[in-house]
Amino acid sequence: MTEHSRGARIATLVMGAVFLVALPFIVRDQYQLHLAQLIGVYWILIAGLNLVIGYSGQLSVGHVGLLAVGAYGFAIIAGKYDFPPLLALIACGALGGLCGFLLGLPSLRLPGFYFAMVTLAFAVIVTEQSVAQTDLTGGGVGLPVPGFAAPFDSPEGFYWLILAVAAAITWLTWNIARLMWGRALIGVRDSEVAARSVGISVYRVKLIVFVFSGVTAGIAGGLFASLQSYITPDTFIFELGLFFFTCIIIGGRGSIFGPFVGTVILTAIPEVVAPLAKLGNFFYGFLLLVVVLLTPEGFGRLFQQALARFNPKVAESTVVAPDPALLRKALQRAED
Amino acid sequence: MLNVIVYGLAIGAVYAATALVYNVMYSTSKVLSVSTGHISMLGGIFGAYFLAQLKLPLIIGLLGAIAVGAAFNYLTELIAVRRVLARSDEHLWLLSTLAVATMISQIMALWWGTEPKPFPRLFPQGFSQGIADQKYWLPIGATIIGAVGLEIFYRRTMYGKLFIATSEDAFAARARGINTDRIRALSYVLSGALGGLAGFAAGQLTFAYFALGFALTLNGFIAIAVGGLGSNLGAVIGGIALGMMSSFATYFFGGEYQQTVAIGVLILVLIVKPEGLFGSKQVRPV
Repeated sequence: MTEHSRGARIATLVMGAVFLVALPFIVRDQYQLHLAQLIGVYWILIAGLNLVIGYSGQLSVGHVGLLAVGAYGFAIIAGKYDFPPLLALIACGALGGLCGFLLGLPSLRLPGFYFAMVTLAFAVIVTEQSVAQTDLTGGGVGLPVPGFAAPFDSPEGFYWLILAVAAAITWLTWNIARLMWGRALIGVRDSEVAARSVGISVYRVKLIVFVFSGVTAGIAGGLFASLQSYITPDTFIFELGLFFFTCIIIGGRGSIFGPFVGTVILTAIPEVVAPLAKLGNFFYGFLLLVVVLLTPEGFGRLFQQALARFNPKVAESTVVAPDPALLRKALQRAED
Repeated sequence: MLNVIVYGLAIGAVYAATALVYNVMYSTSKVLSVSTGHISMLGGIFGAYFLAQLKLPLIIGLLGAIAVGAAFNYLTELIAVRRVLARSDEHLWLLSTLAVATMISQIMALWWGTEPKPFPRLFPQGFSQGIADQKYWLPIGATIIGAVGLEIFYRRTMYGKLFIATSEDAFAARARGINTDRIRALSYVLSGALGGLAGFAAGQLTFAYFALGFALTLNGFIAIAVGGLGSNLGAVIGGIALGMMSSFATYFFGGEYQQTVAIGVLILVLIVKPEGLFGSKQVRPV
């Protein structure tokens, strides 16, 4: 990478960050700010889920169950027992992580379709129990959820809180994806046998990433509940899980920026284009099908390819020459 | 108590039929389609539409529901399976069939409505028959017909033997001159017809309801995972066992624990015996 493009990249990053921080002053009304908050909350979950789906290739469709666990956890801890909301949010993360651990322990040993079905089953159980445990969750009636204390009680303050959490989690996932962990995950996704043969503990890697995604889902659940201010079992329908899933696949597996753009676009489009909101899931299903059939790598890859075409990489010539000094040393060592 | 058993048998028969549909599709294509339960959902909805709204005679309604199931499954093969299999990425068929399943659910929700609607009586019968009610015996009968029919088809007919050859080793079958693509498409049509029949017969039990699709996909999968993938006997036994289990769970703990118990069973079986009760052991790839 040349100095020039690195400078341009940092400049873009800084500009993006400034834009995101200044967003409450840019938007025209409260509704758009609410939309931005929703995107942020979804992204917190999707960033964690992206490591599971996009990097390690485990197709979990049941993260909506973990979101519900976090949301109900927050409503109960902060609402019923009057804990400070920020503390409750951390507890939600721990709760989500615990549920992710318990769910991942048996299910991550299973092959693709079995895993997807068990996660789907988990989401079904959570919905069923949130209706059944009336004392705890209010049953079908639902629960009111408290907001955060000052300075996060205003819409702007709450937005900045979400932004801070989202930024922290994006940074964490970026570190995981970029370093040896991410390589191991991609290895697991592309060929478990090859990953195992180079010494990756496949099950352990999958489990750790899954627990991490559970933590992010729990935190996202707490923020989501507070954002909605009232939750019922109907809030956490299976289609929401499908939505998370579609965001990642459309954005492109094995990238962080792609799913982020996918989240923004898929959350915003039905709000902006009203007829699509009615079609809802049909639209998501259709997009998913189109992406799978045409560009299984996601639209993100398509964009990269287009970029590469307009801005072709100049091939650098590298000379392969023997290094006499090194060679002599190696020979010497072989003789000894 | 007898009521609980008969209800369990009947709902178990629906799960067993879905598991059979999974099996037929899996045998030729090695694909477990997410849209499997949606075939029976379509059978139920179109059965109710043909009989109750269009007032067609029973036999036309039955054939129509079967045709809709077969056509839907053929389309699934055409759109979501064939092209994806050519690319041979393990996960892609899961995504494409999930996409098809979501789309058909939403179409049905928009067209038919999101409320479950009653399915008309197929034979004149009062509503206070207890366990002799046709809504229990029709799905059981349909599943028996389906299972026995499949067994005869596999053992006695040429096409059945082609199916078996393709499922044993698709490359060898192709080398012997079998058009495996056509066999796969045929197996989807056959299993679609079976799913349509099961959905039609179970209509009075499950109602014509768009959300039935994912529920049956999940429960049919549990039946097949418990019984063993690829075994028709296992599919029937797994389905009946699951139906009994959820029926008794409803009786003892209340309806809220139905799914939880079923899924608990699934996870238990997958931990203790991952290949299912009647499945063949899978060799770990090295």
